[in-house]
Amino acid sequence: MFRSNNIVARVFQRQIYTPAPGTSVHCARRFYENLVPSCTIYDVECPDHLFRKFTDDGQYLISFSRNHQDLIVYRPTWLSFSCKEEDCDAHDLPPKSKRFESFFTQLYCVSLASCNEQICKDFFLYMESNQYGIFATSTAPVPEAPATGGAIQGVPFIEKMTFHLLRLGDGVILDEKVFNNDFVNLTHNVGVFLYDDLLAIVSLRNQAIHILQIRDSGNLVDVRAIGAFCHEDDELFLNSNAQCMALPDKSKLPQLPENHAQNGLHHSQPCLEDSFLSGIKQRLLSFIFRGIWNEEKDQSLRVQGLKKKFYFHFQDYVDLIIWKVQFLDRHHLLIKFGSVEGVVSRNADHHPAFFAVYNMETTEIVAFYQNSAEDLYLLFEQFSDHFHGASRNSLYMNFISSPSNNIHALEQLRCIKNKANGSSQFVKKMLSSLPFSCQTQSPSPYFDLSLYRFDEKLISATDRHRQSTDHPIKFILRRQPYSLKFKIKSGPEGGSTDGRTKKIALFLFHPFLPLALSIQQTLFLQPSVVNIHFRR
Amino acid sequence: MGSMLGDWPSFDPHNFSQLRPSDPSCPSRMTPATYHPTHGRTLPPPDQVITTEAKNILLRHVYQRTEEKDVLRPKRAPSELLTPEHGCKQPRASPL
Repeated sequence: MFRSNNIVARVFQRQIYTPAPGTSVHCARRFYENLVPSCTIYDVECPDHLFRKFTDDGQYLISFSRNHQDLIVYRPTWLSFSCKEEDCDAHDLPPKSKRFESFFTQLYCVSLASCNEQICKDFFLYMESNQYGIFATSTAPVPEAPATGGAIQGVPFIEKMTFHLLRLGDGVILDEKVFNNDFVNLTHNVGVFLYDDLLAIVSLRNQAIHILQIRDSGNLVDVRAIGAFCHEDDELFLNSNAQCMALPDKSKLPQLPENHAQNGLHHSQPCLEDSFLSGIKQRLLSFIFRGIWNEEKDQSLRVQGLKKKFYFHFQDYVDLIIWKVQFLDRHHLLIKFGSVEGVVSRNADHHPAFFAVYNMETTEIVAFYQNSAEDLYLLFEQFSDHFHGASRNSLYMNFISSPSNNIHALEQLRCIKNKANGSSQFVKKMLSSLPFSCQTQSPSPYFDLSLYRFDEKLISATDRHRQSTDHPIKFILRRQPYSLKFKIKSGPEGGSTDGRTKKIALFLFHPFLPLALSIQQTLFLQPSVVNIHFRR
Repeated sequence: MGSMLGDWPSFDPHNFSQLRPSDPSCPSRMTPATYHPTHGRTLPPPDQVITTEAKNILLRHVYQRTEEKDVLRPKRAPSELLTPEHGCKQPRASPL
C-alpha cells in the first residue's frame, strides 16, 4: 500500500483508515515527522532563571531563581502576530515577537526556601492527576559527619530537609514534610520515587524507606517507614516486650562490679540497636538462608552449601545498606543494596550490589539478585517499561522508547551486548541503571526512536546536562526518505568565540508541542544562552 | 440498578446489570461482569469468574521464578526456568 509522507495525505488517510489494534498512538505520532521545530530564535532575552523542566502534561515550565530560593512557574503558550502582506510565509518573524514572553507567560513566583536554605535545583516531581508538584529545600549538607544514632559512616548530613507539595495551578503550598538530621540523595530524583500517589523517600543516613501518600486534598500522609521495622506495629511489639525483659535485669545490678554500676542503668533497657538487626535486614538474610537451604535435599550438602555461600559472606550481607529504591507496583519495591564504600565513592561499579524485590504488604522479600544476574537482565530486557513504573494515569509513559517497546532501542542494546568484553561485565553495566529514577525521561515524540535517529551522546530523552558542541544536532527520519528533518543547536548562532571554556547544554522539549528550549551554560556562573526551537 | 446502557433495545436486558471492579487495585473502575457466549457449543463453567490479574507481567515472572526455586530441585539453567506463559509463546532471548 502506498503511504505518502505528505501531511495532507496523512490527514485524509486518518479520516478513512482505522489504525491496527494497539497502534493508535504510534499512528498519531507519525504526524511528528511532518511538524518539526525547525525554526530557531537564538540567544533570546529571557529572565535569568534556572529553567528546570516542562511538566509531563505540558502545562507548566518550572524554573528556579539564581539564588535557589524562589520558584517561578510559566505557562507555555504560542506566539501570535498578524501579517498584513499577501505572502506571509516568506517573511521573517517581526522582531518584537522573538521574545521569551511570546512563548511563556509567567504565572507566579513563590519563595520556597528561607534564608539559610536552598532549593534542590535537580529535584522536581510532578503528580499529573492533581497537577501537584513536589520540590525540596535543604540547609547546606555537611560532608563528613560523625555516625551518631545508628547512622551510616561517610554519608553527608543535612540538618533540615523539607519536601514541599505545591498546587501548580496557583502556587499554593499545600503541605510539607520535614526530615531532620538526615540525608536523601536528590540529584536527578535519585532518592525519591513517585508512583501514582505514593512517594518513596530513601533516607540514606538512617537507612529507612519512608512511604508517603499524596491525598487529593493535598496532604502528605505517612504510610509506613521500612528499615528498622517492617510492619507498622513492630515497634510497639518490641517496646512492650522490652519492658517485660527489663525487670529481671534490674535484679542483676547489685552483682555487677563497681565500675559497671554506673552504666547499669543504661543497660536495664536492652539496647535494640545492638541486639537486633534491622527488620529489612532480617527479612533479607532469612530469604537468602532459605534459598540456599532449599537448593539441596541432602542434609550434609545443605550445611556445606550454607557454610560456603551464606556464613562465609555473612558479615558482608549484614553490612549491606539500602542505596536506592523504586516502585514496581503499589505493593512491591525494587531495592538496591550495596556496601557503604559504594555509596560514598564516586565510581560505584567496582563495589558489589544486589537487588531485592520486597512486598510491602506481606513484608516479604520475593526475590534477590546479584548485580551480575542473567535472569534479572533478561527481565530488564523484556520488560523495561515495567521498570519505569508506568502508573495507570499516565498513558505516554508506555511510549518512551525502551528495549521492550521499540525495536531500534533493542537493536542498540544488542549491539552493545555484542561489543561487550564479557557477559557479566555487560550485565553489570546494564543493571547499574536499576532501580530507575522517576520522571527523568522526556515523553516528547521527537525522542521516539521509531521516528528519529539522533546522536544519543549529544541529546536524548534523559534530562541531564551534556557537553555542548558548536555543531547542530541532527534529527534524521528513521523511515523513508531518511531525510534530515530539523537541527537543534545550542549556544549563539555564530558559535561561541571562546572555544576553550567548557560548555554544557540542557535541552527541554515540550511533551507534545513542536517546541524546545536549549540552554547553554559555561561553568562560571555567566548568564546562560537560551535558544527557542519551534515550528513556524 | 438499571442497565448501564439505559433504555436502548438489547438482546438480554440483564446483560450489563452486574458491575464489578475490573482491577482489584483500582476499585473505582467498574466494568460489566457478565460474559454470555454467543452460541451454545462451548459454554463456560457456571462458576467461572474472569478478572484482571492484579500483578503486572514483570512481577508475575519474578514470583514464578521464586516459586520454581522454592520447590526442592537441583539448580537448572536459566533458560529452562523461563517458562512461557502460553504454549504458543517462546522465550525471546536465551542467556549467553
